[in-house]
Amino acid sequence: MNGIKILVVDDEENIRFLFKEELEEEGYQVELASNGFEAIDKVKGTKFDVIVMDIKMPGMDGIQALNEIKNMIKEQPVILCSAYGEFKQDFSSWISDAYVVKSADTGELKQTIKNILNI
Amino acid sequence: MNPVELLGNIIEVSHSNLEITSRIKAVLSTMSQGMDFDEAIVFTSDQDKRLTCKFKNPKSTLYKILDRYRCYIGEGIIGSVAQKRIPQYYNNKNIPPRFGCLFYPELDSLVEKYKAFAFLPLSDDSYIYGVLVLCSSGRRFITDAEKILLSIISREIGGVLRINDLLLSSKKRIGELATLSELGKILSSNAEPQALLKDIGLIIAKSLNALFVTIKLDHVFLRAEPQRYTYGILDQPIENYVNELEQEALRQKKTVSLRNHGQAEDDISSKYSLYATPIMSKNRILGTITICGGRSQRDYAFEENSRYLINTFANYIANGLENTLLNTKLKDVIKDLNNAQKRIINQEKFKSLGEMTANIAHEIKNPLVVIGGFTKRLAKKMHMNQTESRYIDIITNEVLRLESILNDVLNYVKDTPVPDETCNMNDCIDEVLYLFSSDTTWDHMRILKMYDKNLPSVPCDIQQIKQVFINIIINAHEAMNGEGTITINTEKTIMDNKQFVVVSIADTGGGINPSVIDNIFNPFFTTKERGTGLGLAISNKIILNHDGKIEIENVVGKGATFFVYLPVKNHTNREELL
Repeated sequence: MNGIKILVVDDEENIRFLFKEELEEEGYQVELASNGFEAIDKVKGTKFDVIVMDIKMPGMDGIQALNEIKNMIKEQPVILCSAYGEFKQDFSSWISDAYVVKSADTGELKQTIKNILNI
Repeated sequence: MNPVELLGNIIEVSHSNLEITSRIKAVLSTMSQGMDFDEAIVFTSDQDKRLTCKFKNPKSTLYKILDRYRCYIGEGIIGSVAQKRIPQYYNNKNIPPRFGCLFYPELDSLVEKYKAFAFLPLSDDSYIYGVLVLCSSGRRFITDAEKILLSIISREIGGVLRINDLLLSSKKRIGELATLSELGKILSSNAEPQALLKDIGLIIAKSLNALFVTIKLDHVFLRAEPQRYTYGILDQPIENYVNELEQEALRQKKTVSLRNHGQAEDDISSKYSLYATPIMSKNRILGTITICGGRSQRDYAFEENSRYLINTFANYIANGLENTLLNTKLKDVIKDLNNAQKRIINQEKFKSLGEMTANIAHEIKNPLVVIGGFTKRLAKKMHMNQTESRYIDIITNEVLRLESILNDVLNYVKDTPVPDETCNMNDCIDEVLYLFSSDTTWDHMRILKMYDKNLPSVPCDIQQIKQVFINIIINAHEAMNGEGTITINTEKTIMDNKQFVVVSIADTGGGINPSVIDNIFNPFFTTKERGTGLGLAISNKIILNHDGKIEIENVVGKGATFFVYLPVKNHTNREELL
């Protein structure tokens, strides 16, 4: 898993911190962004294997950022990770590669990352 | 009797504390005895310029016949003395027959025995109060000195009459003021117009000693049938006169009386005095007030100069009614405003029902994920004994339980079963439209309703379905910038052998941009600056959950139509349909 870079985009500092800890423990290199603009800046300078993107964020929200990033790098894998569970199906088939409902149990997120990376 | 002594006696009685009538009678009696007159009679004039025989000395015989007759100022000797205010003296040779008045045929035989006559005006500098008539059988003429004495006495009687007049008119004024003050009190009481008018009639009738008072209100004013409020008894034949007079008052826009009206039969006008006045406020006619008094001598209130009083009543009533009406209107407006406010609150509530719950759940969920996530990390990093691990497990499990509750809230649409109760979509749409009825941004919106009157009811969660229509209608309103036509059509249709109700909502907002139309049901997709992108997504979920569907027909440059299909029977009893 060495060298696999993940960008976590979330406006809540503690969520970012939690995901960073959990994912670094799995061996990934984790970078953080607190909204869509920051995420796009990071993507411009670094190639990420996976982006974990929250939806509701001030400045630029996750959907907008996702669209822009996909426009820049069409094959960039993005996992939407939001508190909303209701629209999981819609998102999976719509624009993102996967949709994970935010939970204290990070097991689903970790598994989804693995699925996307094929490991 | 010595003239000075006589004058002294007369002044003494005329300035006594006796009642007016007694005072004048005493003066006439003293004078007739002291100056040897058989007749000493006082005619008084009223406001109609009529002279009436009112006081006499005790021995008078002419009084019997004179009492039955009236004459106007200017008629006969009595009338001309009143008019010219110059005393006239006659003897039995030169006295004109019947005192110069055609109306006293029996008079000549009665005055034959008298030899000297005097007619003296009872007046002051400005006003004539009456005429003093003196006849003597014992004396042949009246000396110049006596004439001076008589003129002093007649001035004295005039003074008493004047005081009487002032007394009566001040009593009348006090009565009027009391009435106006009572009216003012009632009119400022904020009572209902009906109750108000009953009280007004009563007060005016009592204060004026009227036979009846009737107030008729215009239907325009009351927004109902014309209404009449009467105090006293109003019946035929006078009712007809009242009706005519009211019409006349409205036509002339001023006070009219039965006499002025000119159509009254004599017996009616001699029995009653009737005044009708329009009740007007700001040039608007609210109705009429008609006051009726008997035409006896005591009903002074109904003489000509009472017009101003009746006008004042009418003004008072008009102002009072306007106030009462404004008050009633104000109450209505406040009620309407309260209702409108409630509707707007409801509208907001319905509109954001889904969005609000989603937002709140979302806000709670983030910190919960943090708490639960770090609790787990703590458990991993620390070496804990059994008790400590149990505590950590409890926290972790409770956080997961809370998360699952929040997921249920966030998924509320999906997990709500469709109830068994059925609703009619025509009623549902009407209720939704009602929510916008007091919204001023809807003032330039036209809503065309084309309902199928025989629309079957559909099983549904009415609150959720309302939310769907509200979302679609608000979008239409925004697409048209508040100006355009929304056409709502309801009908039955069959799809795949199943019966559906279809509600179509069409706007004239130019249609949806084709590049976004595929996304409009996607959550968080929005073209609005402040939209959440959840409205149509939730609506779609709701309708899918009802086994229905939403379709869009989009004509770019013209408008969009949303078709909402709802099954008449849900799938559990589909067999019944087949």
